[in-house]
Amino acid sequence: MKIVTVCSTGLGSSFMTQLNIEKALKQLGVSGVETDHMDLGSATPNDADVFFCGRDIADAASELGDVVSLNSLIDMNEITDKVKAALERHGVAVPGKD
Amino acid sequence: MLEQFLSPGGLLYEESVPGWKQAVDEVAQPLLDAGTIKTSYVDAVKEAIAKPGGTYMDLGSGVALAHARPEAGVITTSLSALHAGTPFLLADDEDHPITTMFCLAAQDANKHLSLMQALATFLSDESNQQRLAQVSSKQELEAVLTGKSTQHE
Repeated sequence: MKIVTVCSTGLGSSFMTQLNIEKALKQLGVSGVETDHMDLGSATPNDADVFFCGRDIADAASELGDVVSLNSLIDMNEITDKVKAALERHGVAVPGKD
Repeated sequence: MLEQFLSPGGLLYEESVPGWKQAVDEVAQPLLDAGTIKTSYVDAVKEAIAKPGGTYMDLGSGVALAHARPEAGVITTSLSALHAGTPFLLADDEDHPITTMFCLAAQDANKHLSLMQALATFLSDESNQQRLAQVSSKQELEAVLTGKSTQHE
């Protein structure tokens, strides 16, 4: 399983989101998920199983495949919920931690 | 954590700014003064924001991360921040009211790893988001970002 975050420059917003997704994975108790960040122009559907990006470039990113749009890149509740849903969608077990 | 990356004089407070372009100019000025970026970098940031989808720099909770590619004119990895008492609109878009704008200058993809980690750790903390939103002076901005308490009332 691999999650890639994308933004237009590939090093600011996408990097921030990647770090927050790693934090969410830790909180969820999930390991073994690969993460990376890149710019929208270089990303291809083969780069990841799921792509996360801010809502403003979600349309532009839609052809990458499974694209998750975030309203906020620093809202850990939203990020954790959407990461959890993405993991379950791709058959990755999420330990029950409530 | 963050203070080691903040440029000297890199924290600014304004009651209000006329618009997002002026905000970019203001927040970038300390980095220009310190010689860590070139004016071409500031232009690149403004061009990126004005492009369709340029509001991706809005991180949420009123925080924007103004940045562009290193080759646009970054000399040294550095960071500055501007807080506006009254929100301004990123790309003149009502969906993107901003109160705190960071200017991120990343020298290359690897050198800003520790800066981004410090920034992500800080910004993803809900209490920090709330404290940042309530800033009403330069001293308070400094206190919130560096974790130091304000000495003067």
